[in-house]
Amino acid sequence: MSFTSSASSLPSPDFEVASAFPEAVRLRQDAAAGDWASVRQYVDSLPQGTDRSFATSVLAEIPGVEQSLRELVAADPDDVFALTVLGSREIEAGWEIRTDARAKDVSREQFAAFHAHLREAEKLLIRATALDPSYDAAWAERLNTARGLELGQNEARRRYDRLAAHHPHHFTGQARLLQQLCPKWGGTWQAAHGFAQECLRNAPDGALNGGLVAEAHLEHWADLRTSQERAAYLRQPHVHAELVEAAERSVLHPDFRPAHAYGWVTVQGCFAALFSLIGDRARAAVHFRGLGNLASEYPWSYLGKPADAYVKYRDAALAGG
Amino acid sequence: MNPQATVRLTETDGIPTLFAQAAGPMRAGLVFRVGIADETLARAGVTHLVEHLALHRQGLADYHFNGATKAAFTHFHVEGTEHEVVAYLQGVCDSLTALPMERLETEKEILRTEEARRELPLLPLWRYGAQGYGLVSYPEWGVRNLGPQEVEAWAQTWFTQGNAVLWVAGERLPEGLTLKLPAGQRRSLPAVTSALPTTPAYFSEGTGGVLLDAVVTDSAAAQLYAGVLERELSRALRQEGGFSYTAATDCTARRDGFAVVTAFADALPSKQDAVLGGFVDVLAALQVGRIGQGDLDAVRTRADSALTAPDAAVRRLPAMAEDLLAGRSLRTLDELRAELRAVTAEDVHKVALEAAETALMQVPGGHSADWAGYTAAPTSSPHAVTGRRFASKSNDGSALIVGEEGVSVTTRAQDGTERAATVLYRACAAVLSWPDGGRRFIGTDGVIVDVEPGLYGVDAPTMAAVAAAVPPAAVVGMPPRERPPVPKPGPAPDGSGAPHAGSSQRAALPRRTALQTVAVVVFGLLGALCAFLALSFTVFGAEDPELSTGEWIAISAFLWGFTGLVSWPAVSILRRTRRL
Repeated sequence: MSFTSSASSLPSPDFEVASAFPEAVRLRQDAAAGDWASVRQYVDSLPQGTDRSFATSVLAEIPGVEQSLRELVAADPDDVFALTVLGSREIEAGWEIRTDARAKDVSREQFAAFHAHLREAEKLLIRATALDPSYDAAWAERLNTARGLELGQNEARRRYDRLAAHHPHHFTGQARLLQQLCPKWGGTWQAAHGFAQECLRNAPDGALNGGLVAEAHLEHWADLRTSQERAAYLRQPHVHAELVEAAERSVLHPDFRPAHAYGWVTVQGCFAALFSLIGDRARAAVHFRGLGNLASEYPWSYLGKPADAYVKYRDAALAGG
Repeated sequence: MNPQATVRLTETDGIPTLFAQAAGPMRAGLVFRVGIADETLARAGVTHLVEHLALHRQGLADYHFNGATKAAFTHFHVEGTEHEVVAYLQGVCDSLTALPMERLETEKEILRTEEARRELPLLPLWRYGAQGYGLVSYPEWGVRNLGPQEVEAWAQTWFTQGNAVLWVAGERLPEGLTLKLPAGQRRSLPAVTSALPTTPAYFSEGTGGVLLDAVVTDSAAAQLYAGVLERELSRALRQEGGFSYTAATDCTARRDGFAVVTAFADALPSKQDAVLGGFVDVLAALQVGRIGQGDLDAVRTRADSALTAPDAAVRRLPAMAEDLLAGRSLRTLDELRAELRAVTAEDVHKVALEAAETALMQVPGGHSADWAGYTAAPTSSPHAVTGRRFASKSNDGSALIVGEEGVSVTTRAQDGTERAATVLYRACAAVLSWPDGGRRFIGTDGVIVDVEPGLYGVDAPTMAAVAAAVPPAAVVGMPPRERPPVPKPGPAPDGSGAPHAGSSQRAALPRRTALQTVAVVVFGLLGALCAFLALSFTVFGAEDPELSTGEWIAISAFLWGFTGLVSWPAVSILRRTRRL
């Protein structure tokens, strides 16, 4: 059992989002204390072009947060920030009911409740984007409602285009559209890979957007049924080459800065996971080192129990290096 | 003051007359406060028929004249020399006083031809039901059964001196003009009915784009709202998105203090979802008050230029005649211009909010607007009647119920829920009655119930009782059908053949695509070839000494069965679609 003992020599993975982004702690505390002025002050202080979906998601995951958000919206129906976070909270509540199970395993009642929450969210978010068409987090949430309510590929793309008109490299928005473009949500692999490449090409050096190339391959790999098909998919030289290029232009680029680059743990994780699966341990090791012991559910939930999968592939990669 | 900008109110033989000084040929119109919305579904088309009969004596005059039957007004319009205008107006009045009934059947035929070319709007029927303003959505079913007495009575009741207004634009009022019409009183506007329990509402139908209407207070702000909406729709759907080719709006006064704003954006079939989404967002932007001052000013300038044009007063005469008939105060061009000037973005915002409350949206089939806060317009009835139940012979779970109060068809959806379509005899707008015994009941709410004795095995005494329960005035005798419906075995998928609110069953079939046309030709030819083989074998195979009778029957049956199989795709497409 030397393998197991060597694994225990490294720290176990840390899935806490606040470990990578300490501002999450402040956001949670302020929201729990009802200090929305402080929350707002923080969000407003973020540099121009920051992906504000991160703050929205952190707040929307706080149990019971909808109560104070509803009060905010009642007091000021034009409060774009409150409308957006409350919309996001409704989506969160809807997905909790729906669960991540495949559609065939979700009951009729679950779907009805899920859709009711999404419609409620959409109502708030329509208002938010109408009031401020440049508000990135609201458009990014509306990509989630479009997907859950199955409003269609063109409608999702239209929403992304509205977002991109003001935020051309919005990583969260791009990741959500990428999900929509996958066959499981009515898209095609051609569209998904094409969009990921488009995001990579248009992004500035050192930006996260290249990570979408990895996400597209991971989704494609996960969609294949047999282990032979999966292995064959990853053996294709162009897959490896695309991953190498995307990594070098994003998280491995000298201009890459993790601060405010919300999503970088997921992106590093995707590269680490894919290079591990391909068997390129040296490259996987680079990304694992970049992660420290930080982790996010995605992509590791695709590879088994997230913590176990993380440890297994990390230890294998670092043992070689 | 520009003399051309003033309109003088006078009288001609007791008929209020609006006169505007204008150069050029004389223009005039005789307007009556009667229209389609005053009719009933079972007698729909009677106004239009009277209008046609009234114009018949004009024959092939070479001056320009026309007639128009609208929801609440009927216009007779002419342009020519003073002499021609006098001749036309007097001819119309003479005809209205004594309709040329020898022309009745011919004009009915012309109306049927005209109708075949007309596309019927769907929104009114969903908003108002199968009555009042909703009748503009329906075919002129009444025309076929109208007798001379009924038509005469209609003309005597509605096309009267008291219910008319004349307008004239020219150098002077024509001399020697006498308008002799039956005496009668001014009629109030048709009642505004509703088939929508909740608004904003939507329904899914058709393959086109997105269509919306809304009822708002009639004002200059409403007119400008429609203009701003059109610009925003064009910008979002055409210029930015490239999803639509056409985006257009309209604002039409109903003359009861309200106006109907209509907005439309077409869509490529593959872009319908984005057109719907963009449409919703454009409306939302106006509802939160994001109204561009530039857009407002541009729309205002255009509206104002229509009021300052040299012929502005003349162009407004028909509308003023309607206002006068509706008992509304007349306003000068200057007053209208002042109202336009005073409209602020906040006023337009208020109209947007009013429109949001009353909106009815038509979305392409397969799409919904519930996600955008619109409630689905009812497509079924809250209850079925109690009475005798006749299960469908198709074994699709549907049943006809004949009760004391009315008739219902119930269907079972895949999820086990039962839906009912009910028409109560006391709220029955029309019963289409075919010689083969089939009856279609249409409720005033637009709900349809088909009572097909063949489909449900209804006995003759029950059918007789149903016929007796219907008020005779609601019955529409229909010509023989090519194919009365017959039971189709097997359960209907998703409960189709389900009860529909009005239009669903009445709507035109979807257009056939090019691929479907090719399929029709290919499978049709194959089917014909197989049929020829089957026929040859059936005819000549019987005499073949090498075949037993049993073999001959078996092979013939197989060949015919194969023919049916091969032809089915073509037949199926032909039944489901119509030619491009």
